Amino acid sequence: MEFQLGLALPTPNIIMGFDLNNHGLDHLKDIGGFSGKSKRSFEQAFGKFKQECKTKTLLLWSGQPNEEEDQKDQKKTTFSTIDENDAEEVDQVVGWPPIKTWRKKMFQQQHRVCRIENNRVAGKDNGRSIYVKVKMEGVAITRKVDLRLYHSYQTLTNSLITVFAKDKKCADDDYTRYILTYQDKEGDWLIAGDIPWQNFIRSVQRLKIVRNWS
Amino acid sequence: MHKKMMFSFPDEVLEHVFSFIQSDKDRNSVSMVCKSWYEIERWCRRKVFVGNCYSVSPRMVIRRFPEFRSIELKGKPHFADFNLVPDGWGGYVFPWIAEMAGAFPWLEEIKLKRMVVTDESLELIAKSFKNFKVLVLSSCEGFSTDGLAAIAASCKNLKELDLRDCEVDDLSGHWLSHFPDTVSLVSLNISCLGSDEVSFSALERLVGRCTNLRTLRLNRAVPLDKIANILRRAPHLVEFGTGTYAADLRPDVYSDLAGAFSSCKELKSLSGFWDLVPAYLPAIYPACSKLTSLNLSYATIQSPDLIKLLSQCPNLQRLLVLDYIEDSGLEALASTCKDLQELRVFPSDPFGAEPNVSLTERGLVAVSSGCPKLQSVLYFCRRMSNEALVTIAKNCPNFTRFRLCIIEPRTADYLTLEPLDVGFGAIVQYCKDLQRLSLSGLLTDRVFEYIGTYAKKLEMLSVAFAGDSDLGLHHVLSGCESLRKLEIRDCPFGDKALLANAAKLDTMRSLWMSSCAVSFGACKLLGQKMPRLNVEVIDERGPPDSRPESCPVDKLYIYRTVAGPRFDMPPFVWTMEDDPSLQLS
Repeated sequence: MEFQLGLALPTPNIIMGFDLNNHGLDHLKDIGGFSGKSKRSFEQAFGKFKQECKTKTLLLWSGQPNEEEDQKDQKKTTFSTIDENDAEEVDQVVGWPPIKTWRKKMFQQQHRVCRIENNRVAGKDNGRSIYVKVKMEGVAITRKVDLRLYHSYQTLTNSLITVFAKDKKCADDDYTRYILTYQDKEGDWLIAGDIPWQNFIRSVQRLKIVRNWS
Repeated sequence: MHKKMMFSFPDEVLEHVFSFIQSDKDRNSVSMVCKSWYEIERWCRRKVFVGNCYSVSPRMVIRRFPEFRSIELKGKPHFADFNLVPDGWGGYVFPWIAEMAGAFPWLEEIKLKRMVVTDESLELIAKSFKNFKVLVLSSCEGFSTDGLAAIAASCKNLKELDLRDCEVDDLSGHWLSHFPDTVSLVSLNISCLGSDEVSFSALERLVGRCTNLRTLRLNRAVPLDKIANILRRAPHLVEFGTGTYAADLRPDVYSDLAGAFSSCKELKSLSGFWDLVPAYLPAIYPACSKLTSLNLSYATIQSPDLIKLLSQCPNLQRLLVLDYIEDSGLEALASTCKDLQELRVFPSDPFGAEPNVSLTERGLVAVSSGCPKLQSVLYFCRRMSNEALVTIAKNCPNFTRFRLCIIEPRTADYLTLEPLDVGFGAIVQYCKDLQRLSLSGLLTDRVFEYIGTYAKKLEMLSVAFAGDSDLGLHHVLSGCESLRKLEIRDCPFGDKALLANAAKLDTMRSLWMSSCAVSFGACKLLGQKMPRLNVEVIDERGPPDSRPESCPVDKLYIYRTVAGPRFDMPPFVWTMEDDPSLQLS
């Protein structure tokens, strides 16, 4: 709070009923103070003004969506899906969501790293992230996982199990078994675990967790 | 009966009493009791806080408080954090430094937020203040490591150098070597520096000779395998921020790290953790039971690892985390961390159209239910319901800060498809001490009616894509008695409410309105009628008077000031003129 340079204690609404809508002080008495009473009188005056305002709205704000147009304009004013082939993301709405600049930079760095071509990270494979998509049978959300965070099949599957466990709300009982499968560079779907971990992470394109019916 | 008249103490006694009064608000109240208290207080005020650097001139401050040792200044409006304030708007600290350098060389502390700080300013600080001790730059920009080198080299008594979220031009990592051998830092925060060439040996030497170091926040460039050495040189650290927390798993590096963390018995706060690799997380477990503050908002680890970590931190009071924590992680948090006071959940993929994590209102409800001391929330999510908000409000009547960001603008209650008026209404109704509120989702004028009616202690309100008409704005301006800062974007608020409540603006620090419907004519009128306000029109399209007066301005920033209009404005900012013939007597 700034220091006051005056000696008088500050009072809110020092000038009671000071309504610049009437361009001056003459109407002080008419308007009254800023109590509930004035709120009502404001609304009374406002009643007829509201229409006025709306007409003005239509005249002035050609850039703003009207009530009816909200539905289709909504798409325009919101951000679109990340075009995965773009190098940069495009913010459709400036400054929204409200995230600080330096934090946004961090997202952009991470997303540049996980730019996905054919579901596999392109570009920097310099020891930083390797993101691949993970889909589980019966679950709507497709997740992305950074394989660099894990050093073995065990740690990977442990993490995936826990993450997906709460996602499956279906009637599977505890005895349902799941297998982790992956798609390799040739496009074949294989069961994960046969090749050494380091070879695996160099070759995997996508992961899928499927039910084991056998 | 003989009533004793008010006694008068000698000034020294009053001064001594006043020295126990630290809070600005109290100091201001003290200064308004009578003329003699005003005089005594102004001579002994040691810390000056100026919430808006344009509300008063440096000369006025120095004239009134001739003996201050510490100054805190804030520059740009808050929405500058989200790129809504064009570059070059203002907030330059140099005039302040120049005035203070001339007036008194015994200044010890400078704390700046959202200001433009140049190398020239830093060099002037380094040259002018021989006993300079504390420099805190928060969300500042405009300087480089050259300026930091000047500070390091000349400020022999420097205790605190804290660069939070600053944009620094990283020219060289060698500025660290400019610190003399005698320096004894207590706090060093370089987390925002991007340089890949921080000199590690210089850093280690610096840490080694600063035996009183209690806070150290490193930047991303410091690799994991350097941390152990640094920690070992600073075993009394209370707050520590790592650099990159990733490396190929090597048992020797791991055990080194774990050993180093165990030797820091006083650690209470951890941060950093860029690129966090879960395999290395257990190294910090020895420190977890004492942790009160944890910032994992750069760590992209998933919920299971987070849950394991949080289960080790029963004394946690403050948690910053990405939404990878998900509802399940927040439920675990609610059951483990009963002392939690502040929670911030940031979005991992804010610009994606589809949710990439399972984080919903459920997580926040769980925390509100399980953590009775919860006071401060910042929560990004993709769906919310009135029902959840009402539950949260009832669970946490002690909220002081509640900031909810539903990522898609104008999102309705996902259960009922209604606006979220009732939900936020409950928040302001139950949380009687609420000081700060940020709204989001689908909101009509009704939510503002609730806010105006109930939010009597509210000091700061942030509004976006909300409301139907001027009535909304009127409710807030006429009802919120404690309102100091109001920031609005993309709302259909125009002239009427603003002009009807013009007097209110004199009682607030500032008002920001962008992409609303306030006309140029109304801005001019406000500028004319309100001599103690600066009404700034910010419009990159060109001069506002090249368009009809009824045309809405792009951005409007109104703040009270005793310094008159400023003269450092860029070409796209216009201050509306005072009209002396129409002023109130």
